[in-house]
Amino acid sequence: MARAAPKPQANMGPPVPRYDGRAKVTGDARYPSDVPVASPAFAFLVTSAIAKGRIVRMDLAAAQAVPGVLDILTAEDTRELKHVKFAAGGAGASTSIQGLGPDIDHDGQIVAVVLADSFEAAREAAHKVDITYAAEEPAATFDATNAREESPEEVGERAKKLPKAGDAAAALASAEVTIDAQYATPAQHHNAIELFTTTALWSGDELTIYEPSQFVFGLKNNLAERLGIDAEQIRVVSPYVGGAFGSKAQMTPRTALIALAARRLGRPVKLVSTRDQAFTISTYRAETRHRIRMGARRDGRITAFIHEGWELTSRPDPYSVAGVEDSARMYGFGAVETRVTLVHADRNTPGFMRSPPVVPYIYALESAMDELALELGMDPVELRRANNSMRDATGKEWSSRSLMECYDEAAAAFGWKERTARPGSMRDGDWLIGWGCATAAYPTHLGPSAVRVRLTPAGEVRVQVAAHDIGTGLYTVLAQLAADELGVPLDMVRVELGDTALPPGIVAGGSVSTAATGSALVKACAAIRERLTAAPAQTTGGPSGNKLEDVFERLGIGAIEEYAEFIPEGGKPDAIASLYKGKPALGGGSHGEKLMYALGAEFVEVRVHALTREIRVPRIVGAFAAGRIMNTRTARSQLMGGMIWGISSALHEATEIDRRHARYINDNLADYLMPVNADIRDVEVILVPEEDSEVNPIGAKGLGELGNVGTAAAITNAVHHATGVRIRELPVRLEKLLG
Amino acid sequence: MTSDVQLATRPADVSARDRVDAAKNLVVSFVLNGKPLSVAVAPTELLADTLREGLGLTGTKVACGTGDCGTCTAILDGEAVRSCLMLTAMVAGKTVETIEGLAGESDIHPIQQAFIDTGAVQCGYCTPGMILAAKALLDENPKPSADDIKEAISGNLCRCTGYTKIIEAIDKVANAVA
Repeated sequence: MARAAPKPQANMGPPVPRYDGRAKVTGDARYPSDVPVASPAFAFLVTSAIAKGRIVRMDLAAAQAVPGVLDILTAEDTRELKHVKFAAGGAGASTSIQGLGPDIDHDGQIVAVVLADSFEAAREAAHKVDITYAAEEPAATFDATNAREESPEEVGERAKKLPKAGDAAAALASAEVTIDAQYATPAQHHNAIELFTTTALWSGDELTIYEPSQFVFGLKNNLAERLGIDAEQIRVVSPYVGGAFGSKAQMTPRTALIALAARRLGRPVKLVSTRDQAFTISTYRAETRHRIRMGARRDGRITAFIHEGWELTSRPDPYSVAGVEDSARMYGFGAVETRVTLVHADRNTPGFMRSPPVVPYIYALESAMDELALELGMDPVELRRANNSMRDATGKEWSSRSLMECYDEAAAAFGWKERTARPGSMRDGDWLIGWGCATAAYPTHLGPSAVRVRLTPAGEVRVQVAAHDIGTGLYTVLAQLAADELGVPLDMVRVELGDTALPPGIVAGGSVSTAATGSALVKACAAIRERLTAAPAQTTGGPSGNKLEDVFERLGIGAIEEYAEFIPEGGKPDAIASLYKGKPALGGGSHGEKLMYALGAEFVEVRVHALTREIRVPRIVGAFAAGRIMNTRTARSQLMGGMIWGISSALHEATEIDRRHARYINDNLADYLMPVNADIRDVEVILVPEEDSEVNPIGAKGLGELGNVGTAAAITNAVHHATGVRIRELPVRLEKLLG
Repeated sequence: MTSDVQLATRPADVSARDRVDAAKNLVVSFVLNGKPLSVAVAPTELLADTLREGLGLTGTKVACGTGDCGTCTAILDGEAVRSCLMLTAMVAGKTVETIEGLAGESDIHPIQQAFIDTGAVQCGYCTPGMILAAKALLDENPKPSADDIKEAISGNLCRCTGYTKIIEAIDKVANAVA
């Protein structure tokens, strides 16, 4: 199992098997919708069939006549719900669009909730809710006549903070070599395999919510605000999450509706929404457009970098990822100018999806780098080397940067030196072979966390924090860390996560969980060790040994429990108080004094059939450096899964939008293309040793969102190398390579 | 209709609250994880719902309801099937295996252990279906090629995309069995 469990190198933890592996392979792991509740009513959502306009009439008679129907909630029944302000990042609602009508703001907006004794009855009745709409023509996406562009000047503060250095326009005008290229990325939906579910259970004034969540304290507090009750009345439970990728980070409209329904019925209510509804009742990655202009000297030094981005959002909410923040800092550009424009259309509000800013913006950057290398007649790796710098154009310094180490290791493993530069020059029978590469990057965020740790004389350790393992491996790395810090065997450690009854943890977003929670855990363990060493060496008649039991006996106590809080350097002193209120403060990345990023290099071989243009990816090699690696097995899993997400982004995934109706067409798992096993061949992950004591006390950089960055560019660069065709709009589909 | 499906007696007077229970008027007998049992279900009830809601066997997941994802995979008379696309009445007289039936008394099944060893488990939601698809394959073909494995699990989606590790896991079991 050398592949699954890479041998740890310097600054890497052992590949212990997943803590929750057994529960998950036996079916014992209870995800929120698996929790049994007594005699639940089942909810089914009714969603809007138009994207813009209003509901003129809603006839419920036929629906109410379905046997087993208990209640149907419409706009009038939900007036008591308070509006919660939209805010990105878990601190607020995922969208401003919270009402059930009569105004309709996007296709698939929730307009009614049917409650019945059985799922079947609720579903049948939902289809019998008869709605008459007054429809207006919606703006579906970019280029719609009635879409509204928000100029950077309107956005104000944010535009002022985007990276800028020197006179990029002048540097471009005087450059020896220039490129000017436009790129586009499509809308994508998370499509975690677990659906969006909510179970609400009232006991008197106390409400328990079982819902898969990436931020239980955020959900608790936002829900309290929406229901107009005290947050202390609400407990959110979510120990396992069946995939999330950003879609379960914020409160979406369904939760309050189900809580309200359960209170009206005086009975638990269970909602499992359908796959097609998942496309419109939560968030998604919005489509983006880019224009990049670069100027360089003949020797490859880039003197000017101008990156403009356009992002789609909903009519009311200014959701933006603004990844120019990252693209502009990747290399030692001479002068930099950046700009982001929002385009408002009649769509649901987008939100975070795995590596939100860097997936589209680094794709554009790394495509442009390849185009520039070609223009210069330079090897793409050497172009990165020529512009590798420990300082960005604005003068900010990197805390650590192992980009070229990643390139060199991945290139060697891939056999890059065998590449012939001319497009179309490598061929195997009817297959055109292309080799491409690109940089992967993800900002290292910092966040606060609390934790509680208990140690007994028998050496049992219990770690408690309302953080979240969404498949990442947090259970495992916390168990490992606690075992290491307290010197107990791994199987003595129990970890409890995902419950607001525990001390607050950070949102499982921004790849920040390991660093934040781990740093708090190290503090709590240090406090426990300190209490142990404070034990008297000997008491009269008592044991003098060094065994844990002896030390506890000399201390005269039955267990040690320590609560600890971690606030990152420079963080506000009330960061934990804010966390209790569901407000996570995320810093780091490019926002602190130093630039903090996990980096990598990905090399891809594509094979394009000379006649049919069928595209295959027989192998992909990625080398990554992310500070301290806690567990080489779970790290490899995350990075490998990420790289396959990247292949998916490049070749498969796109949410297709009906431009007339502003509606998602492929809203199911058959038509929304994702790779299956048969699509994936050889994937190799190389972990490059790196130390960085500045990022956080445990020196770990988040890597859950690193592997899927840059992959799409590596593939389009390889496709160009194979065919001479440059695809500037994702995904690459074979029809784009014909003719 | 086989003798394993019987029409239950309908109560003479049903209140609105009891209507749904009253609609569970089919008694279906089958073997589940090695044990014979009879359940009262509605004629429209899906096997996935009977397993999850009726019998509390929540290791079987439902993630699309349209047969696209494979999360609800169960083994019916040795064949991997989509329990979200089957009526419970259709399993009368047959043998059904779910993830809860795989582990032995002393330890978990080798396929389950291999999934842990190769790191094939991430969020875990596709895992039970993936393991059952693998078991159906190995029961039928103990020495599958890599392509056989890919074919057998091509109907099971994993969004954490542990694909290569899942193939490694199944291959490990196939090659360890003499």
